[in-house]
Amino acid sequence: MIMNLTFYNDEATWLHRLDPRTKICGVLLIFVICLCFNHPLFIVGILAGVLAIFTTAKSLKVLWKLRFLLVLLFVFSVVLWPFFIKGKTILLEWHGLEVSRESLLYGLAMGLRLTTFVSAGLLLLATTKNEEITNGLIRLGIPYPVAFALATAIRLAPTFADAGATIVQAQVSRGLDLDSKNIFSRFKRFAPLSIPIFISAMRYTNFLAMALESKGFRPDAPRTSYYEPQTTGRDWLVLGSLMLILAACLYLRLSLHWGIIISGRL
Amino acid sequence: MQHALLMWKNTRMIVLTAVCAAIYAATLIAFKTVVPIIPGVTEVRVAGVFPMTFGFLFGPAGAWGLAIGNVIGDIFGGTLSPVSIAGFIGNFLMGYLPYALWTTLVPVSNGTYAWDAKSVRNWLTYIVIAFISGAAAAVVIGTFADAIGMVPYAIISKIITINNFIGSLIGILLLIAVFDVTKNQLRLFWPEVMDVSAANTGLKASFGAWLVAAGCILGVFGGFVPGLSWTVVSWLATCLIMGGSLLL
Repeated sequence: MIMNLTFYNDEATWLHRLDPRTKICGVLLIFVICLCFNHPLFIVGILAGVLAIFTTAKSLKVLWKLRFLLVLLFVFSVVLWPFFIKGKTILLEWHGLEVSRESLLYGLAMGLRLTTFVSAGLLLLATTKNEEITNGLIRLGIPYPVAFALATAIRLAPTFADAGATIVQAQVSRGLDLDSKNIFSRFKRFAPLSIPIFISAMRYTNFLAMALESKGFRPDAPRTSYYEPQTTGRDWLVLGSLMLILAACLYLRLSLHWGIIISGRL
Repeated sequence: MQHALLMWKNTRMIVLTAVCAAIYAATLIAFKTVVPIIPGVTEVRVAGVFPMTFGFLFGPAGAWGLAIGNVIGDIFGGTLSPVSIAGFIGNFLMGYLPYALWTTLVPVSNGTYAWDAKSVRNWLTYIVIAFISGAAAAVVIGTFADAIGMVPYAIISKIITINNFIGSLIGILLLIAVFDVTKNQLRLFWPEVMDVSAANTGLKASFGAWLVAAGCILGVFGGFVPGLSWTVVSWLATCLIMGGSLLL
């Protein structure tokens, strides 16, 4: 059985119908918008916007799947950053470690930013099929051989994950203990298991290369595609809106100096 | 660096890239949530046994394979973020440096693309390069992750270096086991697939190799020098590593 690893959520919403290029560029713009501020209040606004888009794309359940990761990301950032950033209003001092009001707020902002980053990335994955992402990357200028390698790897990864699971199960049924709590012993036990996975994959390489060469595969040949997405007015509207939001955020940060807790940091 | 660009004209190398990426991604996904160290950023990387072997055996195909595999790991793991860009560069270096430094890091290396498990010098070269490639990835990823506010450099750079180095040390078992099969039976050793007759041993490349090594040492230990901030250290080390890599 081939594992299902994708986050794609099959719905017919406006976001699903967008050109994959628009979605890739849109997510990159959201990443940059997130970097404009380091004040938690401003980043909460951006996160709320991303969640609103999730709702309209009927994909909140995808976000729910990763709730533990998102909470961990947030908590980790909030706890860690205050010890590495210096602020003026000291709240706590202990053996050379300082926690200030500004560093606490910065930690909170970074936790929210990290959550927004992962949510925005997930928005792309929930509304775009893997083939569409590859197609979008080719149309954005990624050389075809690179996109071919990416598409082939995406197609092969679940196959190899399955082969790996079979090998692991076979060894476990022969008495191999992989449930040890010790990280290093798990690591060590994985090394011999990686050998059959590696060899079977390498045999596959030769078969695949021969199959491609026998069909006259040329990495630099010009190509056409069955899937030809068209950019519509809706795509330009989405990109235009995001560009306007970015311009507004840059104006707020650079000219009005809003949304800054720690100056000199993104 | 020229082999890393020329390989895209070779079908077998492109397929090798895809296969390396798929193995790496599959292992990353399978073990992503087993033992997270910094959730969403790094975890105990069981897949860390592959980079040195991929880089040494498949050269540029291994390097691109690791870079693409890491992105796929982020896509399937749901952790696609701006750090995925730094992860792409860092994982590329983890595969690129093993083969690029193997012939250029004189006098540690002996200047030939060969692996002999009985040679003490080969073992020493492997260990030194395992540290450098792991640290190079850590410095580049750490600098970027710190700059965008994901994780402080002082923490992430150490964790990734140690994680990568341990993985590579254990990975030597894999290299010993598969080197002969890959080279003599499957005929997939990269200098033969790409028809590279002479190893890269020029003065410029050696200078680049030591620049990368200096960048790694600075990046991992520089912040402990009084008066030097981790931010300055991280950017300086990243510049040295990237500059040196381009000379290789």
